[in-house]
Amino acid sequence: MNIYDFTGLTRSIHEGLSSSMSPLAVTVTEFVIIAFAFMIFFTILGLVLVYAERKICAFFQLRLGPMRVGKWGLAQTAADAVKLIFKEPMITKNADKFLFNLAPFIVIISTFMALGALPFAKGLHALDFDIGILYISAVSSIGVIGILIAGWSSDNKYSLIGAMRSGAQVVSYELSVGLSLLTIVVLAESLQFSEIIASQEAGWWIFRGHIPALIAFCVFMIAGTAETNRGPFDLAEAESELTAGFHTEYSGLKFAFFFLAEFVNMFIIAAIGATVFLGGWMPFHIGHWAGFNQIMDFIPPIVWFFGKTGFLIFLMMWFKWTFPRLRIDQLLTLEWKYLLPINLINILIMAFVVLMGWHF
Amino acid sequence: MNALTIIFYIMAVLMVVFSIMAVTSRKLLRAAIYLLFVLIGVAVFYLAVDYMFLAAVQVVVYMGGILVLIIFSILLTSHLGERLQVVKPTTMLFAAVLSLVSAGVVISVINGFTFITSTFEGDKLTVAHIGQQLLSYDQFGYVLPFEVISILLLAAMIAAIAIAKYKHQGKS
Amino acid sequence: MSFSDFLLMRNELLLVAAAVIILIADMSFSDENKRGLYNISLLTMIIITVLGFLPAPSGKLFGGMYITGDIYILMKNILNIATVIVLLQSRGWLEKPGQQKRMGEFILLLVSVLIGMSYMISSGHFIMFYLGMELATIPLAALAAYELNKSKSAEAGIKLILLAAFSSGILLFGTSLIYAAAGTLYFEGVMAILDSTAFTTLGLILFFAGLGFKISLVPFHLWTADVYEGAPTNVTSFLSVASKGAAVFILVIILNTVFKSLNDVWDPMVYALIIITITIGNLFALRQRNIKRFLAFSSIAQAGFIMLGVINDGGLGMATVIYFVLVYVFSNLAAFGVAAAIENETGKESIDDYNGFYRTNPRLSLVMMLAMFSLAGIPPFAGFFGKFFLFTAAAEKGYYILTLIAVLNTIISLYYYLLVIKAMFIDKNGAPIGYFKSDTAMQVSLVICILGIIVTGFTSGVFDYMVNLSQQFFLTLQ
Repeated sequence: MNIYDFTGLTRSIHEGLSSSMSPLAVTVTEFVIIAFAFMIFFTILGLVLVYAERKICAFFQLRLGPMRVGKWGLAQTAADAVKLIFKEPMITKNADKFLFNLAPFIVIISTFMALGALPFAKGLHALDFDIGILYISAVSSIGVIGILIAGWSSDNKYSLIGAMRSGAQVVSYELSVGLSLLTIVVLAESLQFSEIIASQEAGWWIFRGHIPALIAFCVFMIAGTAETNRGPFDLAEAESELTAGFHTEYSGLKFAFFFLAEFVNMFIIAAIGATVFLGGWMPFHIGHWAGFNQIMDFIPPIVWFFGKTGFLIFLMMWFKWTFPRLRIDQLLTLEWKYLLPINLINILIMAFVVLMGWHF
Repeated sequence: MNALTIIFYIMAVLMVVFSIMAVTSRKLLRAAIYLLFVLIGVAVFYLAVDYMFLAAVQVVVYMGGILVLIIFSILLTSHLGERLQVVKPTTMLFAAVLSLVSAGVVISVINGFTFITSTFEGDKLTVAHIGQQLLSYDQFGYVLPFEVISILLLAAMIAAIAIAKYKHQGKS
Repeated sequence: MSFSDFLLMRNELLLVAAAVIILIADMSFSDENKRGLYNISLLTMIIITVLGFLPAPSGKLFGGMYITGDIYILMKNILNIATVIVLLQSRGWLEKPGQQKRMGEFILLLVSVLIGMSYMISSGHFIMFYLGMELATIPLAALAAYELNKSKSAEAGIKLILLAAFSSGILLFGTSLIYAAAGTLYFEGVMAILDSTAFTTLGLILFFAGLGFKISLVPFHLWTADVYEGAPTNVTSFLSVASKGAAVFILVIILNTVFKSLNDVWDPMVYALIIITITIGNLFALRQRNIKRFLAFSSIAQAGFIMLGVINDGGLGMATVIYFVLVYVFSNLAAFGVAAAIENETGKESIDDYNGFYRTNPRLSLVMMLAMFSLAGIPPFAGFFGKFFLFTAAAEKGYYILTLIAVLNTIISLYYYLLVIKAMFIDKNGAPIGYFKSDTAMQVSLVICILGIIVTGFTSGVFDYMVNLSQQFFLTLQ
C-alpha cells in the first residue's frame, strides 16, 4: 500500500526547497509549482474530455466521430485548441467591455479553485481543508456570477436569456448537490476529503449506507449534471432556441475558457461523486477480507480514482446523449418539488440510520 | 514582514479601492462586481487567520447567495447602457465631507484603543466544534439564535410571497 | 437544563404555536371567505394575551441568552394587547373584496413581528437582540407594502426596509465595537467589563443611533412620515405603537443594564435628543393636513416625551416609560382606529375632510376627542398621568430645564391636537362625511381603547404595580 503513497514525495520536495530558501520563497515557489501542475493538468483534462465527449457521442449515434487528425482523430482536439487560440477575439459594439472580458476569468478561477481541493491519490492533493466539501461548494458557487455577467454584458438577448436560465438552474441545483453530499457527511462524520476517504477503508459508502446512500447518489448525479449545465439540463445553451446561450458572443480563447470550464466542472462533479460515494482513491475493499483487499491494493490509487471518475463522466455523457432536453419549468419543478424534498427526507433517514448504528 | 502581512496590506488596499469604485460607479452591474471583489477580500482575511469555516461561509453566503441575488435583480430590472443618475455636486460634496469626517473620527477612536490580543489559534477550530457549539444550549451555545433565524427566514419568505402573489386587478 | 425550563419562554412558544395554527388553518379556508381564519386567529391571540397575565417564573435560559422576569412579561403583555387591538381594527379592511385571500399572510406576518419583539425584549445577548429586531422589522416592511395597488404603499415598504437595513448596519457596527471592547456579547458579560472610553462611547453612540431609527427620534426620524402615510392605516397604527413601544422597552433595559457604566455618556445624549425630538416633532405636526402624517409627527413628539423616563435611569423612570407606552397604546390606537374606520368607509385621509364629522357620526367623533385629549395630556385622562409621571421622573434627577421645555411643548401640542377636535366639532362643512356604521370588531376595539384610557388613568394600582416591578428589576441588577 505504501508504495503508492505520495506523502513522502511531496514532503521531500518541501524539505529540499526549505534547505536552500527562506520560508517566504519556499511558499512562493510551491505556489508556482502547484499552479503550473494544475494548469497543465487542466489543459490535458480539457483535451481528453472534449475528445471523449465527441467519441462517445459518436458511438451513441452510430457514427465514427473525429477520425482525420491523428490516429482515430486523437489529435483533433489539440488542433481545435490551436485554431481557437488564433481566432480573432471579437467584442460586440455595445458590450460592457470590462465585464465582458472579466466573465470567463471568474468562471475559470472558480473551476481552478475547486480543482485544487480534490484528492487524486494518497498524499496527492493541493488543499486538504477541514471544510473540504463546504469549500468546494463555496468556490463552485462563484462560477455562476461569471455566467450571469457574461450573458448580461454581451448585449445579446439570447445571451441574457441563457444566462438567466443558467443562473436559476445553478442556484437551484446547488442545494441538492450540497444536501446529497451532506447525507454522506453524516456517515463519514467529517467534511474533510482525506477523512471521508479514510472512512471508506472497509467499503465504499454507496454500499455501506443502505438505500439512503443510493438515493443520495442518484440525486447527486442528477443535480450534479444539472449544476454543470449539461444535457439533458443544457437549457442555458439550448442551441435550437438560444444559439449558444450565455457565450454566444464569445470567440477565440475566451470562448475556450467557458468551454473548458464546463468540461472541467463535469470532471469535478464526477470526482466529488467518486470520492464521496465511491471511496475516491480507496481501492475496492470488502469488510475484513484481508486477502481480497490485499490484491485490490496492488492497483495504484490514482488508477482507482481516475477509473471511478471516468466511469461517472461516462455516465453523465450517457445522460446527455440519451435524454431529451427539459423545459425550464420542468427543470425547476424537478428540483424544488421532487429532488429537494426527497433529499431532506433522505438526510433525516440517514441521520436516523447512523444514530441507530444500522449502517455497515 | 512575512507573507501574511504583505497579503494583508495588498488586500486591504484593494478592498478600499474597490469599495470606493463600488459606490462611485455609474453602472449598476459593475458596482455589484466591485462589491464582489470586496467580499472576496473579506474571505481572504478570514483565511489569513485560519478561520477556514468562516471564509467558506463568507463565500457561500455573500458571493454564492447575496451577490447572485443582487445580480439577478439587476439583470431583471436594468439594461446595458443604463447609467445611474449623477447626484448634485453639493450633495456629493456634503456626502464626501461627512464620510471623511466620520471615517476620521472612527479611525482615530479605533487607533487609540488597545485591542486584547487573542491567543486562540484559528486552525484549532474544527467544523465539529463549531457544529456542536451551534446546537448547544449551554452558555456560549447558539441553538436559540439558530432556531429564531429559522422563524425569521420563514417570516421573510412569507413576506416575499405576500408581496409577489398579487395580480393586477382588471388586467388579465 | 430540563424541558420544564422551556416554560420560561411561554409567551414566545405560544406565539410560535399561534403562527403554526394560522399557517395550517389558512389552507382550510377558501380564498373568497376567510372569516373563519380571522376568528381563529383572533381567538388564539386573545387566549395568548390572557394567558400572559398568569403568573410566570422568571430566570434565564440558554446560558443567559434569554432573560425573563415579571417586568419582561409585563412589556410583552402590553405588546400583545396592542396586537389584539390592531387585529380587531383591521377586520373591516381585511375582509374587503380582493383582500381576503391575502388575509392569512397579513395575520401571520403580524404574529411573527410580535414574536420578534418578544425575543428582542427578552434578549440577553446582542445576537438575540439583533435577530429579534430584524424579525420585528422585515415582515413589517412587507406589511407596509401590503396595498400593492397603491404606489405610496410600495414606497412606504421600500423606505422602511432600506432605512431598517441602514440602521441595522449602524447598530451592528456599534455592537462590533462593543464586542471588541468587552470580548463577549452576553449582556451580563458586557455589563461587567465595559468602562467609559472613547472607543466604547463610539460603540454606544452608533448602537443608540441604530435604535433611534426604530423609535424615530429626531435626527433619525425622516422615514416616519412617509412610511406612516403610505402604509395601510392598520399597519401604521401597529408601527406607531407596538414597534415603537418594543424598541423603547429594549432601549430602557439595555441602557440600564449593559450601558450602566456609560451613564455619563448617554445622559447628555438623551437630553439633547429629547429637546430636538419634542420640538421638531411638534413644529412639523402643526402644519400637517393629512391625518396619518399628522399622527406620525405627533408620535415623534411622543417618542421624545417617552425619553424623559429613560433619562431618569432608575426604577421610577422605567415604570413611567412602561406606563406611558401602555397609555399611548390605547390613545394612539383609538385615534388610528377612527382614522382607519373613516378611511375604510370613504377613503378620506385629510383633516379638512373631518369638518362637521360630529354632526353625522357623533360617537366616532367622541372617541377621537377622547384619544386626542389623552394624547395631548388633558387632566382626567390617562395621557395626562402618563406625561405627568414622565415629568416627575425627569425632575427627580434634577433636569428642571428639560422638564420646563417639555411642558412648554405639551402646550404647543395641545394646539394641534385640538385642531382635529375643532375640525370635527366646530368647523362647518356643506358636505360632511355621511353617517356610517363601522363593523363590530372595530367598535369592540374602540371600546377597549376608551376603557383603557379611562381605567389606566383612574386606577392608581396600575402605576404602583409598574413601579413595584421596576424597582424589583433594579434590585436584582445589583
